[in-house]
Amino acid sequence: MTISRRVFVKSGGLALFSFGLDPLFLARAALSSYEPLPPHAARSRPVLVCLFQRGAVDGLNMIVPHGDPTYYRERPRIAVPEKDVLDLDGYFGLHPRLAALKPLWDSKTLAAVHAIGSPDATRSHFDAQDYLESGTPGVKATPDGWLNRYCQHDREHQDTPFRAVAFGPQLPRILAGTAPSLAIDDLQAFGLRAPQPAARDRLTRAFEELYAASATGLLSTSSREAFEAVQTLKRLDPGQYRPANDADYPRGKLGKTLLEIAQLIKADLGLQVAFADVTGWDTHVNQGASEGQLAGRLAELGQALAAFTRDLGERMGDVVVLTMSEFGRTVRENGSSGTDHGHATAMLVLGGAVNGGRVLGKWPGLDPAQRFEGRDVAVTTDFRDLFAELLARHLGARDLSAVFPGFTPDPARFPGAIRI
Amino acid sequence: MKTQIVSSVLTLGILPVGIAAQQPALTPQDSAFHALNRLAYGPRPGDVQRVAADGVMRWIDRQLSPEEIDDYRLAEREGQFQILDHDRRDLAAIYTEAQRERREHKLAADTMADKDGGSPIAHRGKRLTGEFAELAVVRAALSERQLYEIMVDFWTNHFNVYFAKGADRFLTPDYIEHTIRPRAMGKFADLLLAVAKSPAMLFYLDNWESIAPGSVPPAALRVRARPIFGRRPGLFGPMRDPARQDSMRRRALEGMPKGINENYARELLELHTLGVDGGYTQQDVIDVARIFTGWSIERPQQGGDFEFHDWAHDRGEKQVLGVGFQAGHGMDEGVRLLKMLAGLPATIHHVSWKLCQRFVRDDPPDGCVDEAVAAWRRSSGDVREVLRAIFHGPDFWAPDNGRAKVKTPLEFVVSAARAVSAEPDTSPRLAQVVARLGEPLYLHVAPDGYSEREAAWVNSGALLDRMNAAVALATGKLPGVTVVLDSIVGVGDADQVIGEVNEKILGGTMSENTKQVLGRELAGIGDPIQARALAVGLALGGPEFQRQ
Repeated sequence: MTISRRVFVKSGGLALFSFGLDPLFLARAALSSYEPLPPHAARSRPVLVCLFQRGAVDGLNMIVPHGDPTYYRERPRIAVPEKDVLDLDGYFGLHPRLAALKPLWDSKTLAAVHAIGSPDATRSHFDAQDYLESGTPGVKATPDGWLNRYCQHDREHQDTPFRAVAFGPQLPRILAGTAPSLAIDDLQAFGLRAPQPAARDRLTRAFEELYAASATGLLSTSSREAFEAVQTLKRLDPGQYRPANDADYPRGKLGKTLLEIAQLIKADLGLQVAFADVTGWDTHVNQGASEGQLAGRLAELGQALAAFTRDLGERMGDVVVLTMSEFGRTVRENGSSGTDHGHATAMLVLGGAVNGGRVLGKWPGLDPAQRFEGRDVAVTTDFRDLFAELLARHLGARDLSAVFPGFTPDPARFPGAIRI
Repeated sequence: MKTQIVSSVLTLGILPVGIAAQQPALTPQDSAFHALNRLAYGPRPGDVQRVAADGVMRWIDRQLSPEEIDDYRLAEREGQFQILDHDRRDLAAIYTEAQRERREHKLAADTMADKDGGSPIAHRGKRLTGEFAELAVVRAALSERQLYEIMVDFWTNHFNVYFAKGADRFLTPDYIEHTIRPRAMGKFADLLLAVAKSPAMLFYLDNWESIAPGSVPPAALRVRARPIFGRRPGLFGPMRDPARQDSMRRRALEGMPKGINENYARELLELHTLGVDGGYTQQDVIDVARIFTGWSIERPQQGGDFEFHDWAHDRGEKQVLGVGFQAGHGMDEGVRLLKMLAGLPATIHHVSWKLCQRFVRDDPPDGCVDEAVAAWRRSSGDVREVLRAIFHGPDFWAPDNGRAKVKTPLEFVVSAARAVSAEPDTSPRLAQVVARLGEPLYLHVAPDGYSEREAAWVNSGALLDRMNAAVALATGKLPGVTVVLDSIVGVGDADQVIGEVNEKILGGTMSENTKQVLGRELAGIGDPIQARALAVGLALGGPEFQRQ
C-alpha cells in the first residue's frame, strides 16, 4: 500500500514535530525536511514528458510519406501537396505547419517513429486510449496505467510529490494506480485561496487535519498528495517564472502546460514523469491539407515544443518528450474530406538523448495489399516497444515485465529512439 | 403488492422487512439520508427529518412518479432563464448570425484594428450558452423532482454530445429540452429512437453527412445540399466578390459528403446499446452505418430539424449481428434496428449495469444488476420499473454501499448548494465551479460521457478546488449565489455551531476528529459570524461531505 511506504520514506523529519497527532499527519510535517536535490544530482536525473494526442492523430499528414504516389491518390482533397512538405529524408516529410520543429530535426534531437500502434485491432477511441494508457492492449481489466506502474516498480528514485505530474483537471488513466501522482491544472492557483497568506496557511492546515484523520480510500491518498505539493509550491513561487532564451510559448493550453513543465524541471523538485493531453485530432470532417483544422493543431504543437526546447536550453539533455496517440487514421480520405479511425500512426520523440534526424520503425507501405484490413497503415512497431525503450534507456528502468504485464520487451525490437 | 407492504410498513416509521432483516443498524434517519444522497442531490436542511417521518419508501415511490410532484418553485425560477424562450430556430439564427459576423470581422481584420469585445449578438450567444449550463445546476438544486433530474443527468451523460462542436452549440439546448427530458423516465427504446433522430446527435457523431457512396442529391438541392453549420466558409456569407463567390461554391461542392461515416454506428453499438464487449464486428458497424445513411438535418435557416434524405440512403441489403435487413426499406430499416438493439440482452445488461453503478456503487454487485435486468424484461425496458427494482433491492440498502461513492463534481456542487439553501441566479457561477472541478456541463468531448468511477475525478488538484469552492460558498463569495446561513446554523458558541453543522449539513456523520479540528479552528476566531462561515466551509469541503 502506498500510504505506508510514503510515510516511511519521509519519516526522517518526524522528530521535529510532536503535536501528538496521528502518523498520517506527520507524513506532511516530514515534508518540511525536503530540500531541492543538489544541483548536480538533479541534472543527471532524466525526465520523460508524454503528450497524448487524444482523438487519434493522422500520422500520415503529420509525418507525410510524400515519396509515395499512393498517398496522393488516396487523398485527393487532403494530401499535403509535395511543394509544401518539409522534406526529411527524400520519402518522408514534415507537415509545413510543423516548421518550428525542422531545426530540431536537423540538429538530430527529433526523431519520428512511423507505423507504430497497438497490436489490438480496435477502432474505438475509448478502447484504444484505454489500451495505450493501461499498456495492456486487449485487456480491459488492468486497473492501473503503465506510467504509474513504472513509478510503482522503480524505487531507485527518491519519492517526491512531484515525481509524476499530470497537467489537467483530472488524473489520466495512464497515471492511475497506487504510486502517488499529482494532477495540476494551474501551477499558480494550486492550493487554497484566501485573502492573506496567514489566512491561507491556517485554512490549509485545517483542511489538512480534517483529511488526514477522516478521509478514506482515494480521498485520503489524493488529499495527502495535494497538501504535500502545496507546501513545496509555496516555496517555488511559480508566478515569478520567466522562460529563458526568449522562448515564446504559443498562447493556449498546450503552451501554458509546457511552460509549467519546464518550470518544474528547472526547479529540481524531482519531476521524472510529466503528462498532458493535447486534444483536437479526431478529424472526421474537413481536416484540411497544408492549412485547415489539422494544420492549426500541428502548428500549436510544433511551436510549443520548439519553445519548450528553447526554454530548457542545455537542460534538454535530461529530457525526452514523447507524443503519442491511440491510433492513426484511414489511408483514404472519407466522404467528408476527413479521415476515419485507422490503425498505425506516427509518434515524435524529442530530446538531448534522442537518436534524432531519422524516421524510425519499419515502413509497411501504403499499397492496399500492405495495409491493415486493406484500409489502414499496418502496425510494425508495438507501441510498448517504444515505451519500454524510453523507460529502460532514458529513465533507467530495470524491471519492465512488471510495467507491461503479459509482454516481454525485447531490446532487439526497440525502435532505436535513444542514443546508446 | 410487495411495494405496498414495504411502504405501509415504512409509513409507521419502521424499515421494510427485507431491509430490517439485513441491517438493523440503519435508522429511519440513516435511510432517509442515504436515499436523499442517491436519488436526490443531497438533503436540504430539514429534508432528512421530513423524509424519515414520512417514510423513505413512500418518498422513493413519489420520486418515481415525478409528473405527480408539484414543482411550481422551479417553474418560477425557470422563467428567469431566457434560453428557454428560444427554440432551435431562434438559436440557429443567433448562431449563424454570430458566425457571419465573425467571418466578416476576420475579413476586415486585415485593415482594421482588431477590437476585442465582440458584437452584441456574439455576447448574446455566449450569455445564453452560460445560462444553459447554469440551468442544469439550478434545476438539480431546486427541483422537487430530484430523481427525475438525476435521470436527466444520467441520460445526458449516457447519450453524450459535445456542446462546443459546431452546430451543437445551438442544437444541444433543444436536445436536452425535447429529446432527453421528456423521456428520462420512460421506455429506453423510445429514448434511443429519439436520440437517433436528434439533430444534436446526428451532428455530433457525423451521421448527418453519412451517405451511400455515389449517391447524389436531386439537382435542385445540390448547391445547398451540404448545410453549412459554421465550420467552413459559408454559402450564406458575404458574397460581394464574384471570384470569391465562385471559389466558395467550388469548395462547398468539393466538401459535399461522398460516403458513409461510421462514427455514429460504432458508438450506437459500443456506448448507447450493446456495450464494448457486446459481440459486434467491424462489418456490423459498417452495415449499421449503411442503415443510417440519409438520417440527416435540415439547413439551420429551416430550423435544423431531423430530415431523412431518401437520395442518400444505401439501397443494398444489410446484415447486423446476423439479422438481415432487406433492401429498399428506407428509414424504417433504422427504426427496426433501434428497436432490435433496445431489446437485446447485451443492451439490457449494459444499461442496467450502468444504472446500478450510478445508484449503488462504482463496481455494482451482480445481484443488483440481475434484479434490474429482470425488471427491464418484465416491463419491456420501462426505466422507472428498473429503478424501482434497484431501490427495493437489498444491495441499495446494504450498509457497505452507504457512503460508498464519492460525489461527482456536479453532485458535490449541487449538494453543497442544497445543504446551505443557496439561491443561484441565472449567471453561470455554479456551473463554472462544476467545470473547474473537472466535469464542465455538456463539454465532455468524447461520446462515452463522464466516467462514474471516482478515480476519474478524485485527484489532488480537484480536491483542493472542492475545498476552495466550499469556503467560497459558505462565506458568500460566489457572486450570483445567495446564501443566508442564519436560517440553517445559528450564531452561537463553537460547540453549538459544530453540533448544528453536523446535524443540518452532514446528516450526523461528522467524525470525532472533524469535531475537534473545527473546535480548535473556531476557538481562534473572535467574530461569531466568521466562525460560523468557517465551520460551514470546512464541513462542506471536508472529507465527510465528499461521500454519498
